[in-house]
Amino acid sequence: MDPYEIEFIGENRIVSIIPNFSYDKIFLISGEFGPFRAGLPMNVPLWLAVMLKQKQKCRLVPPDWMDMDVLENIKEEEKLSRFFTKMPNEHYMVEAKLILGAASEDIPRAAEIKTIIKDIWDIRMSKLRTSMDALMKSGGSYGRLDHLTMMEINSVKPLLPQAMDELHRMKMMTRKSTPATLNTSTFSQSGSSQNI
Amino acid sequence: MDTEDLDLSGEEEEITAETVLKTLQSAWQNERLAPEILPHRNDMVECMLGQIQHMERNINKLPKTDLRACIHKMELNRIKYIICNYLKTRISKIEKFCISIVNEEKQRIESGTNYLTPSEFWYAQEYLVNMENHLKNTVLNHVPGRMQTFEFNKMAIYPNMQSHIFLKANDTINGIVLEDLIGDQDEEIDLEEGSQHILQYKPIAELVKNGKVQLV
Repeated sequence: MDPYEIEFIGENRIVSIIPNFSYDKIFLISGEFGPFRAGLPMNVPLWLAVMLKQKQKCRLVPPDWMDMDVLENIKEEEKLSRFFTKMPNEHYMVEAKLILGAASEDIPRAAEIKTIIKDIWDIRMSKLRTSMDALMKSGGSYGRLDHLTMMEINSVKPLLPQAMDELHRMKMMTRKSTPATLNTSTFSQSGSSQNI
Repeated sequence: MDTEDLDLSGEEEEITAETVLKTLQSAWQNERLAPEILPHRNDMVECMLGQIQHMERNINKLPKTDLRACIHKMELNRIKYIICNYLKTRISKIEKFCISIVNEEKQRIESGTNYLTPSEFWYAQEYLVNMENHLKNTVLNHVPGRMQTFEFNKMAIYPNMQSHIFLKANDTINGIVLEDLIGDQDEEIDLEEGSQHILQYKPIAELVKNGKVQLV
């Protein structure tokens, strides 16, 4: 899938905003939201939050995890653990990108937060590359990937499954060709066709 | 997600539009990621299209600059995107695996477990006829007589059921058998609820269809 599609899926996450206008409840197909009361925090899907922010109709409330102390802890834990730690949010990267992109002035210490989230992402990606390498070397056709977020999984998508497919294909070939003698006939055939 | 055994015809009042949307989104995601074509969820598509029409009529009553109209329109566009992309993905699979899908679908229709909607099936058959005619007109009619037959079975492309996919388990499922090609020692694994795995599509194909796992 395209990263934009993962972002699209991530945009359904619920975030908190403080609107600067008042309105009744709004009945969307994906659920009802509101009522909007100027100055009072309320929950809406991320896509709506970003849209309202762009129209300057609200302020975004930073999600609980978008805080330097919390993120420092996550980073430390991620560094120490051999496995992937559980992220505070299934779509942390999407949420961070959209919120910091649209409303960085609403987030305290936005620049630092951006950097540390990128650090966490980098640590996790390098872990992912190491475990992919180990998986391929052990010739495995199965792996468990708990706590990886969708965006992280998607980032290895063209590579890892296809490499495993190739490996599987080679295993099939070796299994098929071992009982039979080497197919010399095809060699001679291709040789003769070259002569013509 | 317990939407599997919802019967649209009987208890239409019971399901909320929200549930339909969620089901549709997970069907879209599965269809995008599965190598083969999955059973259609036309009930969900039709239901959502009805919702969209209803909503559009309501939006038209609002003044153009109304903020609510903007919000509703944006939501509708998001849903339309999912539906279009879902249907397009199915069509491209039908075109790619046309021969194998038509053959298998004929057997499935006999047992009443069809994967395609009637119009998708019609499209698949038309596509096949057109492809055959095209190949006959451009090539087969101009080659020596004994080479002129159009051999469907040799032309058939099959989806690679052995390809590896990522999944997340919605339920705990025990005893998935993974075939071991070299050592002949098949491995058995359990999928715990909420856990994520990469493995071959074939052993879990049924679980995708009955909603026990979600492809990611």
